[in-house]
Amino acid sequence: MASDATGEATAAEVPPADVIGIAAPRRRFAVALTPARRRILLALVLLAAALFPIVHDNDADIDAVANALSYAILALGLNIVVGFAGLLDLGYAAFFAIGAYTYGVLSSFQLEPLWSSFWEPFAWLGLVARMAQSGGPDVVHFTLSFWLALPLSAAVAAGFGVLFGAPTLRLKGDYLAIVTLGFGEIVPIIVRNWSSLTNGAMGLNGVAAPRIFGYSFGINAEPFYYVGLAMIAFLIFVSFRLRDSRVGRAWMAIREDEIAAGAMGVDLVRFKLLAFAIGAGFAGMTGTFFVAKLQTATPEMFGFPVSVMILVMVVLGGMGSVLGVVVGAIFLQLLQSWFLEDLSGWIHSFGRLVGSDALQRVDLVQAIELIFGIILVVMMLFRREGLIPANRRTAALTLQEQHAEVRRGAAIDLRGFGQERTDVPALEVRGVTVRFGGLTALQAIDLSVPAGGVVAVIGPNGSGKSTLFNAITGLVHADSGSIRLYGEEILGLPPHKVLVRGAARTFQNIRLFPELTVLENVLVGQHARLQTGALGAVLTLPRTRAEEHAAREWAMQIVSIFGNRLTPRLNQRVNALSYANRRRVEIARALASRPKVLLLDEPTAGMNPAETIELASQIKQLHTLGLTIVLIEHKLDVVTQLAETVIVLDHGEKLAEGRPEEVRQNEQVLTAYLGRSAGAGSAGLVE
Amino acid sequence: MTTADLLLQQVINGLSLGAMYALLALGFTLVYGILELINFSHFNVFMLGSFVGLWTLQAMGISGQSVVLYGLPLVGVLLVAFAVVMLFSGVLGVVIERISLRPLRNVKGPAAMITTIGVSYILFNIILLVVGADSKNFPNPLPAVNFAIGGAVLRLRELLIWAVSLLLMATLYVFVQRSRLGKAMRATAQDAEAARMMGVEVDRVIVTAFFLGSALAGAGGLIFGLYYNFTSFIIGFTAGLRAFTAAVLGGIGNIPGAMVGGVLIGLIEAMGGQFIAVEWTDVIIFSILVLVLVFKPAGLFGTLVPNKS
Repeated sequence: MASDATGEATAAEVPPADVIGIAAPRRRFAVALTPARRRILLALVLLAAALFPIVHDNDADIDAVANALSYAILALGLNIVVGFAGLLDLGYAAFFAIGAYTYGVLSSFQLEPLWSSFWEPFAWLGLVARMAQSGGPDVVHFTLSFWLALPLSAAVAAGFGVLFGAPTLRLKGDYLAIVTLGFGEIVPIIVRNWSSLTNGAMGLNGVAAPRIFGYSFGINAEPFYYVGLAMIAFLIFVSFRLRDSRVGRAWMAIREDEIAAGAMGVDLVRFKLLAFAIGAGFAGMTGTFFVAKLQTATPEMFGFPVSVMILVMVVLGGMGSVLGVVVGAIFLQLLQSWFLEDLSGWIHSFGRLVGSDALQRVDLVQAIELIFGIILVVMMLFRREGLIPANRRTAALTLQEQHAEVRRGAAIDLRGFGQERTDVPALEVRGVTVRFGGLTALQAIDLSVPAGGVVAVIGPNGSGKSTLFNAITGLVHADSGSIRLYGEEILGLPPHKVLVRGAARTFQNIRLFPELTVLENVLVGQHARLQTGALGAVLTLPRTRAEEHAAREWAMQIVSIFGNRLTPRLNQRVNALSYANRRRVEIARALASRPKVLLLDEPTAGMNPAETIELASQIKQLHTLGLTIVLIEHKLDVVTQLAETVIVLDHGEKLAEGRPEEVRQNEQVLTAYLGRSAGAGSAGLVE
Repeated sequence: MTTADLLLQQVINGLSLGAMYALLALGFTLVYGILELINFSHFNVFMLGSFVGLWTLQAMGISGQSVVLYGLPLVGVLLVAFAVVMLFSGVLGVVIERISLRPLRNVKGPAAMITTIGVSYILFNIILLVVGADSKNFPNPLPAVNFAIGGAVLRLRELLIWAVSLLLMATLYVFVQRSRLGKAMRATAQDAEAARMMGVEVDRVIVTAFFLGSALAGAGGLIFGLYYNFTSFIIGFTAGLRAFTAAVLGGIGNIPGAMVGGVLIGLIEAMGGQFIAVEWTDVIIFSILVLVLVFKPAGLFGTLVPNKS
């Protein structure tokens, strides 16, 4: 059974790299927006934006667009938190405030400590100046340059992001919303109350305008416009780079299914914090820009309504959609500053025309926040993906492709399951007990899986099989016992560390990342084996590029185990796949992490007999390659075919252990499966 | 006043605030217990409740503090006011659930929470546009009867607030513990799927939770007006945040927990205002929220909602 399939799949079936998107970014629209055309379009938009102040020489309008650009940057930052990582941040304006006051305080006359020699090195660096005071000692005047303040305020805001994220990001996502709401509320309060630092409700005054080569921006809108444009172009680029990297995949995995992301090696707290910090950094930078432009800062500029407005921008444009949120932000800003008044005027004239007093009293400018609320609700109810959705629509397979003859694959070319052939068991479970309140789900379970072995765990529903897997992979806390992977204790480790040590699993109810493609799902499986961090993703040095390339090739090899089941569907979102194919993707995702021990929870559930036989033979091949496998399975013919040892659980206790044919004859097992009265019949166990 | 009197006075004030927060916290806890949803619209259902109370009292001819009633007329007016406000708020809660949340019942991620923010914002801005930004004088028919306890003063309105809150909370508690629907609510909170299989109409349970929670929030809004003699479009935000902290402090999903948490937050606010500074109250309460979440996320009385993975 195992050998006859091996010859069929060859490396030749693996599509060349550029087909699977190593060279070419993925298609985003079914329409003819190829990457090249998209680039041209983007360049044209940028060019038009660059020419705008020259063509349209109106300071007020340029100023309005410059403001809109700063809100667009805020939307980009919030998009990383809400859109990519799925964390609802309702106090985002707090980071905006922190960035604003970082520059505001360090470039105005707010703080004036007495001059001492301590300040001399700073003066030499140009960060402070010595200022004479009439009738008093000299004082320090902070003169932080705008250009230095941009990265500094990003860093300060990111630091606060970590500080406030750390306690709450460990908890379930919901709490984050309320804590950030509180955070967004108290930051302006602190700003208001701490007048010695911030001048309280009066606001900071005399914030220095940016200078470049001796030219001061003053209050001209134009230079700010160009700085804003450069910032937004840069941050759009950063957003895209992050999205399409290991980091972005980890964020989206967390957004789609936190538990599965953890089990696939994503350090949840770390990556949530990273998203939170980067989002905060964007806001901090914008704060500096905004304050430099207005040359003042008051606590009211950063209240809850600002946080909501940015959220509305993100929701309107499309959560997770980089260009969408930029368009959403600019649209909403310009709507407010340019069109609402005209629109109200039109409604008034219409009201006069039809003689309606009510219409003549409508004031849309006043009602903008009401409009925001309506946008939030309407978008969530009717168009959650936003006006410009993030999700690429991949063309469906043609009928011909769908009905292509099934070619079975094989795992012959897989490298990377290097087994340590030792006498130490690959997996050794000793006396593991799990209790849920008063219920003992597992009672002192022992299980030993030799390196390269296949062990099946069977038992009636509710007997504790999945709990055993959960205990091994760190998803539930075992009350006592020991679990060793190649002699190393893994009990008590969080799921992502268990995966790093080499145990990968699938789930009984399939936990894929539904909005991600097949390829992306499998790539997330490799998360723990790759290194690219946020900085690496943005820079994309040759090393990163090579790593990504290798990751995609490895993903292709894994996927080709399943022949042509998955290869034509690589860029399809997994929620469009058939049930059996989803199971295959989940196994591929687990294999992609190069596990030493693979834990399969009912891999053939929901498959028809032919598919079951096919999958069983593929699992057999993996075993032949040296992979250690533990499998939960109800189909006993599969168990008999694959497993060397079977353990039987019932009511959380181990009922029997032995070779498949022994276990099949075991009296207790038969009783557990078929009820007490049927203990004599053994035929029932076969299917 | 001596320190002891000050302390006693702040206990009296704190218990009144606490009763109001407890009523509001119950709505968060009821809905969170069943849907695992932080319902931000609750903030402004409370606010709207206080305006409906204002309008109801005005409709009965009571304006400002000049009309004072005694005896049966007073009881009657208060009964009508509470009944109207609670009915209105309860129905409002049900409508919010029906229109904006039920379609999102099975949508994962922050969509439902974002919707409740949108709804909250809509309510907030409707009131802002209709009644304006000034705070409104709240009619109060209660006679100015004060009792001196040492140096502290206990006003009739405080007694009224305590009595009404205790009555409402006791009724809710008995309802949830004893009635058929209450049992269904507890079952759904533990495991909605299993409850559904056992024949519980989960939709009905959710509607009930929204009705009860919102009705209590409305009562809280009326109490706010009677206690402070004013109301305004912004009261929902601060009170809501404090009440949510109360729910978390007591253990979210836990009904007696929300009551105790509310009283504790009220006492903390009163004491903090007296002995620290009023302008730092929100910072103190927010710090409590974060500390509870870090060190005791299940709250004082436990029962984190079971992890439905």
